[in-house]
Amino acid sequence: MRQSDKPIANPVAVLREEFDDWAVLFNPDTADAVGINPVGVVVWKLMDGQHSLEEIVAKVGDRFADVPDAAAEDMTAFVDDLAERGFVGYELEGSGQ
Amino acid sequence: MSGEAARLEQPPSTVMRTPRNVDLEITSRCNLRCRYCYYYDNPAVEYRDLPTDEWLQFLDELGRCAVMNVTLQGGEPFIRKDLPLLLESIVRNRMRFSILSNGTLIDDEIAAFIASTGRCDYVQVSVDGSGPETHDACRGRGSFAGAIRGIRTLQRHGIPVAVRVTIHRHNVHDLENTARFLLEDLGLASFGTNSAGYLGSCRLNVDDVLLTTEERQLAMETLLRLSEKYEGRISAQAGPLAEARHWRRMVEARAQGAPPFSNGGRLTACGGPNSKIAVRADGMIIPCTMLAHMELGRINRDTLAEVWQHSPALNRFRQRHTIPLTEFDFCADCPYSPYCTGNCPGLAYTLTGEVDHPSPDACLRRFLEDGGTLVGAERVTSEKAEIACE
Repeated sequence: MRQSDKPIANPVAVLREEFDDWAVLFNPDTADAVGINPVGVVVWKLMDGQHSLEEIVAKVGDRFADVPDAAAEDMTAFVDDLAERGFVGYELEGSGQ
Repeated sequence: MSGEAARLEQPPSTVMRTPRNVDLEITSRCNLRCRYCYYYDNPAVEYRDLPTDEWLQFLDELGRCAVMNVTLQGGEPFIRKDLPLLLESIVRNRMRFSILSNGTLIDDEIAAFIASTGRCDYVQVSVDGSGPETHDACRGRGSFAGAIRGIRTLQRHGIPVAVRVTIHRHNVHDLENTARFLLEDLGLASFGTNSAGYLGSCRLNVDDVLLTTEERQLAMETLLRLSEKYEGRISAQAGPLAEARHWRRMVEARAQGAPPFSNGGRLTACGGPNSKIAVRADGMIIPCTMLAHMELGRINRDTLAEVWQHSPALNRFRQRHTIPLTEFDFCADCPYSPYCTGNCPGLAYTLTGEVDHPSPDACLRRFLEDGGTLVGAERVTSEKAEIACE
């Protein structure tokens, strides 16, 4: 089975949005928490298993003005980090799950 | 609406959108009647429990508010037969929990259930001595055996156990044995300390419970020594150990003519209302369990986010940190005020009748005037100290 390239936000994780558009992601199963900036919040909300990382990067580019060239790399690193910490997963294609 | 009233309709910019932690007094009932209990004998409190459905409805709201942690307390939380239902709701609403308990009602069945949730940060059990002679003196016959049985049950099920030792006149001479018992015999990683304060039932038993100046000094010296011996395994956010650490820093700062501490000179204790809130057993929303008289709203009638963001009383309380100590006669000419936080507003209220007042209980100058001394203050240079009631 091959892993999908479309990240899915862990449905157990909680997104605590604050007044300044920053947020805290909290995993109640592990007690792990991470602060994320406004771009990270948009990325998080797009990780619905329907969008590839490339598509997410493109949508963020549409949403924010003056997105730097390094943004794609930063977002990839961000999603990889979240995946390593159990906040994000990928569906196994053909698994039906 | 006046400018002041309009200002208090909005939270300060440092406040979170919703509380991160919520303290829930899920019951007003308890199987013990400890002589220093902060909870009972408070004329402001209606000792009445809510039905299960009311708590379940509110826990759903906490989930929608993205609250991260709830602390279940009382009364004695394990007295509620519907505790598993409440815990299931906490899990369903994507939160974690901790429980404050006297330990005596914890059995294998509930411990197994708690362990199965995977969401318990800790169960805190009160242990006030190395044996029943000291522990039971204020908590009642048989309570030591019950507490230790509860701790061993929790340990057997792999649940993190936190122990809090409340220091009073009957156990202040037993601290060394208590530390050895908890850290060596019971094998706890650490334990916390506090002391009986002028709250609730303690107000009715002052002479029997509250530490004298000499006993307070003894507690400070003993705990500092034990903390060194056990290499940081004894903690405190308030009480003699926290005071000893902070007061030594204050004495040292004054002696060196150091600039004011960043949180000194104003009523900066505590920062709780920016991140947490509490609910009484009867459903009234309050800023803190130590300020049970400050009713801000009622659960399932008022929305939590509305109370949290727009309660004028809560927003006024959040401005407490701007009040300089120089405003108070109590602090007049005090050389330590640039380094003082004013300490717990709950104790300030019960002792003076005012929330916006420094707490006389945690006053270094008064301690020294009463004959107290701080051993080792001259040696303090860069020790990091916990500040009371942060």
